[in-house]
Amino acid sequence: MASGRPGFGLVVLASVLVLLSRPAAAQTDDAPPHPAERRVAIGGDVALLLAPPDDRTYFNYTTYDIDGLRMAQVQLYGEWHLHERLSLVGELRTQNAVTLEASALYARWRPFARSSLVIQAGRIPPVVGAFARRAYSRDNAVLGMPLAYQYLTLLRPDALPASTSDVLKMRGRGWQPAYPIGNLALAPGVPLVAGSRWDTGVEGSWTSRWLDLSAAVTQGAPAVPVIRESNRDLMWSGRAAGHLPGGITVGVSGARAGWLADSVLDLTTDGRQTPHAQTLVGVDTEFGVGRWLVRAEWLRSRFDLPIVDDADPFHRLTAHGGFIEGRYRFHPRMQVGVRVDRLAFGRLFDRLTGTSPTWDADVTRVEATFGVRLSRTLEVRAGWQENRRQSDRAARRGLPIAGLLYWF
Amino acid sequence: MTRPAPLAIVFAIAASIVGIGHAAQGPLGGGTVRGRVTVPDMTVVAPRPSVSGIMSASHMPVDRRRVVVFLESTAVLTAYPKTPGHARMDQRDEQFMPRLLAITTGSTVEFPNNDTTFHNVFSLSRTRTFDLGRYPPGRNGAIRFERPGIVPVFCDIHSHMSAYILVFDHPFFAVSDTSGRYAIRDIPAGTYALGVWSELGQARSRRITINADSAVEADFDVDGDPR
Repeated sequence: MASGRPGFGLVVLASVLVLLSRPAAAQTDDAPPHPAERRVAIGGDVALLLAPPDDRTYFNYTTYDIDGLRMAQVQLYGEWHLHERLSLVGELRTQNAVTLEASALYARWRPFARSSLVIQAGRIPPVVGAFARRAYSRDNAVLGMPLAYQYLTLLRPDALPASTSDVLKMRGRGWQPAYPIGNLALAPGVPLVAGSRWDTGVEGSWTSRWLDLSAAVTQGAPAVPVIRESNRDLMWSGRAAGHLPGGITVGVSGARAGWLADSVLDLTTDGRQTPHAQTLVGVDTEFGVGRWLVRAEWLRSRFDLPIVDDADPFHRLTAHGGFIEGRYRFHPRMQVGVRVDRLAFGRLFDRLTGTSPTWDADVTRVEATFGVRLSRTLEVRAGWQENRRQSDRAARRGLPIAGLLYWF
Repeated sequence: MTRPAPLAIVFAIAASIVGIGHAAQGPLGGGTVRGRVTVPDMTVVAPRPSVSGIMSASHMPVDRRRVVVFLESTAVLTAYPKTPGHARMDQRDEQFMPRLLAITTGSTVEFPNNDTTFHNVFSLSRTRTFDLGRYPPGRNGAIRFERPGIVPVFCDIHSHMSAYILVFDHPFFAVSDTSGRYAIRDIPAGTYALGVWSELGQARSRRITINADSAVEADFDVDGDPR
């Protein structure tokens, strides 16, 4: 006998039709345009960055194996307003015409007309930290990315060291670390937080005059955002930011996720039960009043890393990344920007030598740029980036840098 | 030709500034030009998308229906005394409101931040280059405009925010309503060129002859050739 209750599919279909239907209310000439009149909105960013080749020290290489300061990046993004409170958002990005990917693709839903609550699902902006959500070139105080969001550590999600010596041998060469367990091919390491690659999942955010709250459940890890999950873990992340009087914003964020791939966990003694979490906490602040914009951010990441041949195979590798940056616009067309940046690593006891060096080489970066706005949408910047690595290998590199930034 | 009383001129100029968005007024007893400006269909557009950030407001569509109708400057018109006025361009829901403002030279425009987030107001226009910097909700900034011209206004923090301020060296202009209707009243008798400014395109200016205490109808079609 047929049930009198509508099926789940029918309910969903009816809900979607109600959601997508346009109100039939008449609109007078002077009435504001109804939000449903929105259509497709598009925009784009173009960044042409120029610096001397850095194929010996690799300070600015990204997870895409591209020098972040020698790059032509084009981002096209759009928002298709399906309904007053529902839209599809996407971004297509290419770097040096080598990569072409949908770097963002998600649905944005505002459940309530009078609330700022937003639900986003798909390949979404990250929740942790502050920099990754303003990674577009024009909102960057300088030209390079902060170390915590870009610098490649020696860790890889698809390969494991067999001993502490295997780890320490890779100090200062995160652009291409190699390990004996797992994927033997050379590949880039991971930063603390992937600043140029987004994760896949669901995010909810709510904003008010004094408080922003965000939380997300996604597939990857801060260091390893993914489209297709490589393990069975979910990342839980959140951020709370308060807007204080005087133009100060202070945010705290955190995330926890499994960062190693199942393919390499299966090669360890305890298999997928092996601890393999990345735990990240961060504090960020922004002070922007008048001509000044000052931002600072600190991130602490702990990576659970099994080192299978070690007497105690369970290791927790910590790293701290922090920067302070400032921009001063001394003329409507001109600005100077400076960032002082530091990435420091915890210590790892090496039984072979009886020493406890840092598990990766600490890095310090100072960057300063001068920028001129030729028009509202076109800006040129030039400056200098100085990098120091506490390592015998490729320890120092100063780079003149220039960039042409255009958006529409 | 009967010349209006000086007091009437002052009153009319003040009224023209206060009445921004409706109709400008000149000396009482002058003529009127009114009509309707038809603009292309694409008057309402979605704002520039924000992909990476969390938007703090529900983005309203950008309304580009309004236009400015004005008498092109002549020595007679610019000779009219202008009382510097005050106008206001609000920042609310990550939009400038109104999006189109017309003022006389010497006027001051306030830019109060009545939103829930920080804003910045700047322009790189040759008419008036300025940058008010960043300021929080509840704060205000003001700029005085001394030269006639077009001043596009933007927010450095929110790239989808934009607006226009048109500065005239006489008080004979009007901002249309959203259906394109406009009226410029109390124009001194004479022959003038009547122009239209729209961010959507251009319209050919027309010559009109104004007689005292009479009205002239002048309609325009703005083409779709953006400025």
